[in-house]
Amino acid sequence: MNSSNPRAGWEKVGDQFYRKIQLYESVFDPDLELGDYLVAGAPHGGAVALFRDEGKITRYRGASVARSSIDLYSSAGKLISRLNWDKGSIRGLGWSEDEQLIVVTEDGNVRCYYGLHGDFHPFSLGHGAEVSGVVECRFWSSGFVALLSNNSLVSVSSYDEPRPKVLAMPPAGELHAWSLIPPAYTLSRTVEVLLAMDRTIYVVDATECEDRGLSDGPFKHVRVSPNGRFAALFTEDGKVWVVSSDFQDKLSDYDSKAKTLPKHVEWCGNDSVILAWEDEIHMVGPKGVAVKYYYDGQVHVVPDVDGVRILTNEVCEFLHKVPDETEEVFKLGSTSPASVLLDSIEQLEKKSPKADENIQRIKPYLPEAVDTCIRAAGHEFNAHLQKELLKAASFGKSVLDLYSSDEFVEMCERLRVLNAIRDYRIGLPMSYEQYSRLSPERLISRLLNRHEYLLAIKISEYLHLPANKIYVHWACQKVKIASSDDDAISNLIVSRLKSKSGISFSSISQAAYDEGRGHLATSLLNSEPRAGKQVPLLLNMEEDEIALDKAIESGDTDLVFFVLLQLKKKLPLASFFRTINNRPMASALVESSARAQDTELLKDMYYQDDRPVDGADLLFEEAMRQTHTRTKMDKLKLASRLLTDSRDANAQLHTKIFNETAQLLKMQEAFDKDIANTNGNFAGLSVNETMYRLIKSGYGKRAAKVQSEFKVTEKTFWWIRLRALVAARLWGELEEVAKNRKSPIGWEPFYNETLGAGNTRLASTFIPKCTNLTVPERVEMWVKCGMIVKAGEEALRAKDLTTLHDLSSKATGQQAVEIERMITQLKPRR
Amino acid sequence: MAVLAVSEADHLRTKARKDLLNLLEGVRGRKNLVISKSLTGPTNLFVNFSTLKEYGVDKLFVLENGNTDSSQRNIAYLVHGEEPSQVQATAEQIKKLLKNGSVEHEISIFWVPRRTLVSNKILEDEGVLGDVNVSEFPMYFLPLEDDVLSLELEDAFMELYLKGNPTSIFLASRALMLIQQRHGFFPRILGKGDNARRLTNLLVRGRKELDVEDGSSYGGGARATLPSATLDSLIIIDRDVDFATLFLTQLTYEGLIEETVGIQQNQAEVDSSVTGTASQNSTQPPQGSTSSNTSPPSTTRQNLKTKIKLDSSDSLYSQLRFSNFAIVGSLLNKVARRLESDYEVRHSARTTTELGDFVRKLPVYQQEHQSLRIHTNLAEEIVKQTRSEIFTRVLEVQQNIAAGTDATYQHDTVEELIARDVPLPTILRLLCLESCISGGLRPRDLEKFKRQMLQAYGYQNLLTLDALEKMELLQPRSSANALLLPIPGTGNTGSNAAANNNTPGTKTNYNYLRKVLRLIMDEVKEQDPNDIAYVYSGYAPLSIRIIQCILQKSYIQSLNRSPFPLTPASTGWQGFEDVLKSAKGPTFTITQKAFDERLVKARDSLRGGGGWKTIYIMFLGGITFTEIAALRFVGRQLEGEKKRLMICTTGIVSGNKVMERVMEKRGFGAGA
Repeated sequence: MNSSNPRAGWEKVGDQFYRKIQLYESVFDPDLELGDYLVAGAPHGGAVALFRDEGKITRYRGASVARSSIDLYSSAGKLISRLNWDKGSIRGLGWSEDEQLIVVTEDGNVRCYYGLHGDFHPFSLGHGAEVSGVVECRFWSSGFVALLSNNSLVSVSSYDEPRPKVLAMPPAGELHAWSLIPPAYTLSRTVEVLLAMDRTIYVVDATECEDRGLSDGPFKHVRVSPNGRFAALFTEDGKVWVVSSDFQDKLSDYDSKAKTLPKHVEWCGNDSVILAWEDEIHMVGPKGVAVKYYYDGQVHVVPDVDGVRILTNEVCEFLHKVPDETEEVFKLGSTSPASVLLDSIEQLEKKSPKADENIQRIKPYLPEAVDTCIRAAGHEFNAHLQKELLKAASFGKSVLDLYSSDEFVEMCERLRVLNAIRDYRIGLPMSYEQYSRLSPERLISRLLNRHEYLLAIKISEYLHLPANKIYVHWACQKVKIASSDDDAISNLIVSRLKSKSGISFSSISQAAYDEGRGHLATSLLNSEPRAGKQVPLLLNMEEDEIALDKAIESGDTDLVFFVLLQLKKKLPLASFFRTINNRPMASALVESSARAQDTELLKDMYYQDDRPVDGADLLFEEAMRQTHTRTKMDKLKLASRLLTDSRDANAQLHTKIFNETAQLLKMQEAFDKDIANTNGNFAGLSVNETMYRLIKSGYGKRAAKVQSEFKVTEKTFWWIRLRALVAARLWGELEEVAKNRKSPIGWEPFYNETLGAGNTRLASTFIPKCTNLTVPERVEMWVKCGMIVKAGEEALRAKDLTTLHDLSSKATGQQAVEIERMITQLKPRR
Repeated sequence: MAVLAVSEADHLRTKARKDLLNLLEGVRGRKNLVISKSLTGPTNLFVNFSTLKEYGVDKLFVLENGNTDSSQRNIAYLVHGEEPSQVQATAEQIKKLLKNGSVEHEISIFWVPRRTLVSNKILEDEGVLGDVNVSEFPMYFLPLEDDVLSLELEDAFMELYLKGNPTSIFLASRALMLIQQRHGFFPRILGKGDNARRLTNLLVRGRKELDVEDGSSYGGGARATLPSATLDSLIIIDRDVDFATLFLTQLTYEGLIEETVGIQQNQAEVDSSVTGTASQNSTQPPQGSTSSNTSPPSTTRQNLKTKIKLDSSDSLYSQLRFSNFAIVGSLLNKVARRLESDYEVRHSARTTTELGDFVRKLPVYQQEHQSLRIHTNLAEEIVKQTRSEIFTRVLEVQQNIAAGTDATYQHDTVEELIARDVPLPTILRLLCLESCISGGLRPRDLEKFKRQMLQAYGYQNLLTLDALEKMELLQPRSSANALLLPIPGTGNTGSNAAANNNTPGTKTNYNYLRKVLRLIMDEVKEQDPNDIAYVYSGYAPLSIRIIQCILQKSYIQSLNRSPFPLTPASTGWQGFEDVLKSAKGPTFTITQKAFDERLVKARDSLRGGGGWKTIYIMFLGGITFTEIAALRFVGRQLEGEKKRLMICTTGIVSGNKVMERVMEKRGFGAGA
């Protein structure tokens, strides 16, 4: 980065410029034989993982080196950490977008290392991977596909909840090469795999395997461009084809004329392809134009979204297409306004009047020129050039009357961040494009992975980002490595972080617990403001009661349930009840869930709590569920036995009801035996319904027996009889009843019910019996029966002339005459 | 920045819709969707079947039917994750599908409203966790109307008061937190009742936790750390403060529809004669789901029931719903006449433009005609019931009890109603009403009624009665729960919550509150209501009166002869602290302050005062349609102060709905 010539390292490929920027020097120890290593680089300029390729013979360097490990380096060659490896042969080494290192072994075990320091989640591929063995893996930003030796493909599309899925089975046969299209770029939104077999390419997704019908194979390398739209195919005879990823259009081809197959074929951005042999690189641009680079030692190519990192022992370089803005400003002989603007800065520094002339010349295009300069500054790795460009932009800006400086300010901010992280001590050589894609938040988490806390906090403050995660990460790390005693660490952490908002003490505590520092974990947990977050950890720590209390405190019933489930499994029943006893919410939840699933538990609970009535109710419910009268009775008996010792009124009422229930069932059983009934069984009816049906079916005597047996009140019985008789239209019986002198419910109901059933004749017989009603009411009743004359008589008796007049309007024929007669009778004689 | 309150409903609706469709889109290809029964109605509120079809849903199934078609490869479940029983059912069904299906299934579960630990555990125990794609569908509040948000938790009432399961409170706190995250914090939270207190605690805690969650004093979090400029306050009422209102027959049009045919998620299932034949096409059950089921529910076919939509999209209904039923007839007449005259315009139309105008309006007329016909028929149906002798007698008993006459005078009538086999819910409502209002029944009377009810409706209802007793809805009067007259307290009700814990009433004393808050209004004009009492033709629901104590102090003062300790500057509960000690549970106020007061000041001075402010009212345990009507009535009077009300609830309740849930449905029949 010492050259200030803006065009250093530019190469023209076709009509486009490419440039190679040297990022770092003396990257790896010269003794490190890069050629013997598998190299995988994390996207966006992230860490590089090196693992000794077991297939290669190596020089013996003493026993200490023989222990195998996966070494993580920054792009500047700084060793970040060394992960010991003794799990057998590695068949896949790759990175996720969040800088998680994925290691896949031959037997199908996967480790997902997060945080760059040896913490990992393991999972296993399944689907026969342990038997057939993994051959190779391909990775994308959030998942990978593993190829098994029997050609079947297993995909994992998320590392948070890895769920290996086997894809459609490709045909058997020799596989020359393969690649995948990430889910984000396929039509089906699931991963698709390209397999080069025979002379063609197969496309495999979850459900089907389709032959693309190519005939120019066999293809020895297949690679899909970062945006998923193109594929590069390398044929056996050394040719490179670039086709669209649906294999419809052939875009370009190039003959490498090489006899050996390149080690790597990678995409450099979306419009050129890199072929890499041991120490030689061909870059094939659009239209098949190529440029070649030669190196002294082994080269490794690490692809990224907008270019490739080239790693050798000596250097780390970034090769990419020169961005349009940069080209516009710096291209030799460029006369673009931006370029003129840059030039005027030089003139200005020379105090030459040409500066103003220049400006005047490009005045109409000045805003664009400023924009271009700002963007070009963004793409620049060299701080000196960045400054020049920004100076130009600033100058241009000052001439303009109206210009929003936001973009300028933002660019300055971003460049400060970028320059800081590109420093060789940090070693994150991110391009502007990569940084925009990564987002500042994820940049911060990358810094945390590298334990660069100070820089992370500085950047967070600078960009106004929340810093809480940084503190938490720091504290977790502190907990892991600090050797001082628990209280001291706890005090240190709490005192440092107390004043900060948004600190998740539960995560710190979890870290402490994972380290086996239980006491520290507990004391840290006390500072956690969110009750809910403490629960899982407390459960792990076997602090059951506190966990339960915290869960209750959070108000989250799900959490309480969860704790209760765990406790029930763990504790003996008696202590389980003791635990929930003085916690009303817990016992309420246990009660209601047990009601649905586990009545035995409920019985125990009621017994322990001394709630005999509730216990008896349970048996009562069980009685209902029985199918036979006998077993029903047994349950009822059990229920009442539970209450024998209870003295309170409620328990006594319950006992009485249980007995009555049994009694009723017994009687109903008898009825069902004796009385053939088309309307179904008596069993299951209530007392009133039983009497109702008995009367309706003409068994009045038996109904009366039920009445006396269950001490049904006279009023109720009369009503039931009335309704039943009317419903069955047993008018004769009803008349029989009507012979009674008095009715406990009065006679009005009789009138109403019979009238309602349409028997006006019978209804009318009840009218005279309704002696407690007023005259107009009775008149109304007669009228409803259609007996106007009777109504008239009633009115006449009461000497109510107006009513009679009303009636005369309703009367017809003979009736009218009668009413007329009554009216005259009542009219005062003149 | 300023998010209008009306748009909150829209926001929730579109969000729910978008979320669900996104989830469906995540499942590639055609799929079958299995919905748990309790979610079919709510889902219907924001998305219809044809839209689901567009998103690849082939067939819809109800979880509880267990008839999911196993031939489809993709199956998605939409199930409430908070209910272990439903989770269990889902897990078992999936297990079965995976085991004996010939097709290799791709199963997804969308937990509503979140993925719970318990659901994970159950799926794990059933051994299916690894085979399903689990996602969340964060649906909390659902807008029933623009100003009514409901969690639509059918069981909330039972869970809260019978089982003591506070899940609904937790979900309510989540839902309200989301609102606060959008609009800023409620500057004040006022509440009445134990559960209200609990909810408030969760909200206060939630605010603290939110700070930790994002830890962001930056970006989206900024709004959440400030008290809102658009929200006025949150008033939380626990249903158990006023149970009695629940048991009175609702006398608004909407209330009576609920009482007679029942309303679920803005839909009522009525006899198809009500809609008339012409409407068969237009009122195709919006739930196309039922028709596409492999086993079409036979009940709908037999009884020829049709679902009608009852919401504000029907302009006629929005005029009618909140009116007392007494005037619905005349309102309908008026509309009929207006429509007639509008329609007559076609004769007087002279120019072609006039005719054109008319033709353009035709569809509107037709729609109105249709709606008029439905409501006329429906009103007639209801009249049939309200004219019946039993209805009037029940109403009479209710009104006498509510008015505070000695309830024992009504006992004969109740006994007669039992003997006449009037449906049990009606009887229970009467007795519960009495129990609530007069602090329990005399033990002797209660036992008598219990025996009569058990004999009349079956002994299985012993469990019903026990449940009601546990909920303190129907209990014996004893010295323990005798009504305590309010002790004019040394109540100091500051903004601090802890100060409010002094001797909260353990039971609501209706006899005292009836007088002080004038619950009984003798002269209530149903035509042109002058008081909320119109919704029950003379009884003002206590729950709403309590809210009026905050919102309409001077009005409440005007009702009472003896003055309350009020000053014009009184806010919150001030002036009524002593009175409200006679209602159950604590009365409290919490002020949520910004961590940095200056920020608020700066913002307020930037915005300038005088925007509309929204008062959120949360009913825990459910709200009745009449209470909604009453709140709307109150809300209209607040418009002058540039305040509007937003009604939130755990669900719509009514006396019948409650009884429906409480009642023991199994019996002693042989085939049980």
